[in-house]
Amino acid sequence: MASSPAVLVVDDHDGFRAFARTMLEAAGFAVTEAASGAEAAATARIIRPQLVLLDIQLPDFDGFEVARRLALQEHRPVIVLTSTREASDYGGLIMSSPAAGFLPKDELTGPALHGFLAAGRAGGPI
Amino acid sequence: MSHRRRGVLIAGALAAVTCQIVVTYVPGPPQPLIGTITQSLVGLSFLAAGIAAWVRWPASRLGLLFTITGYLWLLPNLGHLPYALPFTIGNLAAPLYEAALAHLALAWPTGRLRSRFEVGVVVANYTWNIGQSFISMFFWNPQTNCGPSCPANLLMIHGSQAAENALGVISIPVGLALTVTVLALIVRHWQTARGWTRRAMVPLLWIAPAICALSAVQTVAQNTSLPLFTSTTAGNILYGYLPLILLAGPALFVAGTLLARTARGAVGTAIVDLEPGAPPGQLRDTLARALGDSTLQLAFREPDGSGYLDTAGRPVDPDRPEPGRIVTPLPGRDGAAPADTVLVHDGGLEHEPQLVRLTAAAASMALEHARLQAEVQAQLEQVRASRARIVEAGDAARRRIERDLHDGAQQRLVTLALALGMARSQVAGSDPDLAALLEGATKEAREAIAELRELARGIHPAVLTETGLPGAIQALVERSPVATTVSAVPACRFPAPIEATAYFVVSEALANVAKHAPAATAQVAVRQSAERIVVEITDDGPGGARPDSGSGLRGLADRVASVGGALQIDSAIGGGTRLRAEIPCQ
Repeated sequence: MASSPAVLVVDDHDGFRAFARTMLEAAGFAVTEAASGAEAAATARIIRPQLVLLDIQLPDFDGFEVARRLALQEHRPVIVLTSTREASDYGGLIMSSPAAGFLPKDELTGPALHGFLAAGRAGGPI
Repeated sequence: MSHRRRGVLIAGALAAVTCQIVVTYVPGPPQPLIGTITQSLVGLSFLAAGIAAWVRWPASRLGLLFTITGYLWLLPNLGHLPYALPFTIGNLAAPLYEAALAHLALAWPTGRLRSRFEVGVVVANYTWNIGQSFISMFFWNPQTNCGPSCPANLLMIHGSQAAENALGVISIPVGLALTVTVLALIVRHWQTARGWTRRAMVPLLWIAPAICALSAVQTVAQNTSLPLFTSTTAGNILYGYLPLILLAGPALFVAGTLLARTARGAVGTAIVDLEPGAPPGQLRDTLARALGDSTLQLAFREPDGSGYLDTAGRPVDPDRPEPGRIVTPLPGRDGAAPADTVLVHDGGLEHEPQLVRLTAAAASMALEHARLQAEVQAQLEQVRASRARIVEAGDAARRRIERDLHDGAQQRLVTLALALGMARSQVAGSDPDLAALLEGATKEAREAIAELRELARGIHPAVLTETGLPGAIQALVERSPVATTVSAVPACRFPAPIEATAYFVVSEALANVAKHAPAATAQVAVRQSAERIVVEITDDGPGGARPDSGSGLRGLADRVASVGGALQIDSAIGGGTRLRAEIPCQ
C-alpha cells in the first residue's frame, strides 16, 4: 500500500467516531473526523479524502444533502452512507443519492470500506 | 261565547224557522214556490253562518253581523201574515237586510269598520233604507193592488200612487249611489290590503259585485213601473232565483274558515318539509308562503337587547307595530320576557288565534331544532378536532420514541457490537475460547440491534418522516412477503397526519394480505385529486374480509376517520379484496 487512504468519518456521536477511528486506523486508513454536515463539507475540501463514511442522521443537514454537496466538490470522494437504521428505512433516497453505497453501522469493518474504495476506483467517478 | 249566549242564538234561530214556517203556510196571497225556497235558504244560511262565526271568532262582530242579516232577511216574511201589524212591520223592514249586508261586507274580514267615513256610509245605508221605507209606507195603499182582502198598512197616511212614484224617482239615484259607494270601498279594501287580509278579501271581491248588481236591479225594478219588471216571471226571477246568489254571503264564512284550515295544514306541512337546520330567512319564507302572508316578519332580539331585527336586517319595534300589523311573541325556552323572537304579521290573522299559535309554535320548534343542530354540529366539530389532535399527538410521541431509540440505545448497541467484533478479531489468534465467547456476544448484540430496529420501525416508520409516502410505501412493499406492485404515488409531501394515515392503510392492508392470502398478489395505488388523496390496495386473494371481523380494519377505519376521511372495503368471497381510503389532504 503506497499510502494510507484518507477517510473522513462524519457522525455526531463521539463514541461511534472514536470507535470508527480505532477500527479504521487499524485497517490502514488515515482517519479524520467531522461532527456535522457543514464541518464535513469544509473538512473534505481541505483534506480531500478518498472516502467519506457519512452518517445519514446529522444535526444540521441530513447525510443525503451532505452527499450532494460533497459530490459537487472538485475532488469527489467515494461516499458511503451509514446509519443504525437499514437501507430500506430510507426508501429510494440512497439509490438516488451520489453515494457509492450504504453500510449499516453494525456491519462497519475496514475490509468493507476497502471494498467500496476499490469499487469506486474501478468504476471511476460515480 | 258563553253557553247562555249560544242558547239564546239557537233559540232565536229556531224562532226564525218557526216564523218562516208559519208565514209560509198561513192563508194569504199565494207565494211562488221559488220565493219560499229562496227566503228559507238564504235566511237560515245566514243564521247558521252567524252562529258558526260566533263560535269560531268569539271576539269578532262577524257572527253578530251574519245573524242580524239573517234576521233582517227573514223579518219581511211577517208581511205575508193576514194581520195589519205584522203586515206593516214586514213590509217596513223589507229593504233593511241590504244595509246589514253592506255593513257585513265593509267589516269583512275582521268585523270592524276601517274608518269614520265607512261608519258614516253604513249608518247612511241603514238610515236611508229604513227612512225610505217609512216614507213610502205613508203613501202605499196595499188594497189598491190586492183588494180589500189585504191587511191594512198601519203607517199609511194618504194612499197616493203619484207620491210613491215621485219617491221612486229619488230612490233610484240614492240607492244606486250607496250601492256603488259600498262596492268601491270593498275594491279599495282589497287594493290596500296586504298579507292575510288581502287573501281573505279575495272571495268577497267575487261576491260583492254580483250582490251589488242584484241590489241595483231590484232598486230600479221596485221604483219604476217598467213592463219588463212587472210580469210574474220577472218577479220570480228578481225575487226568487236571483237572490240565491246571496247564499254566497254565508259561503264567505265557509271560505274564511277553509282558508284558515288550509293555512293550518300548510304550516304543518311546511315545517315538516323544512330542511333541518334551515336558516331563519328560509323559515320566514316558508311560513309566509304557508300563511299566504307575504308581509310576515320573523324578528330576533339583538344580543345586546337593544332592539329587534327581522330576517332581512330591518329594525322591528314589537311595542309599536305598524297599523294593521300584530306582534306575536314566540314561546321561548324558559318563558322569558321579552321574547327572543317575535312574529309580526297581518292584522287579519287577529281572529285566527289558533292559526297564529300554531305558526308561532312551529316557528319556535324549527328555530329550536336549528339551534340544537348547530350546537350538536359544533360539538361534533370539537370532538373531531380533538380526535385529530389526539391522533396527531400520538403520532408525534411515536416519532419521538423512535428517534430516541435510534439516537440512544441503538447507537450504543451498534458501538458495542462493533467493539465486540473488533475484540474478537484481536484475540482470534491467541485465545480461541475468548474469541468464541466474543463471537457469541457479537451475535447477541447484532440480534438485539435487529430486534430494536424492528421495534422502532413498528413504533414509527422513519422512512415516512425521511422520504414521505413514495419511499415509505416502497419500503413497505419491499419488506412485504406478498408480491406487490405500486402504481404512481404522489411525490409531494402532505401534512404528517395525512401521510401517517395513508401509510398505515397500506401497511395494514399488506399485513392482512400476508396473513390471510400469502399466495396472492397485490396492487397499491395512491392518487391525488385537488382536495383528497385516494389510497387503494387490491389483492386477488380469497376475499371475505369484513370491517367488523377484527380490530385491525376497525382501528384503521377510525384512524382514517380521525383525519376526516373514509375507509371502504369491498371483499366479496372469492373476488379478492379492495381497500379504499379517501383522505382529505388539506
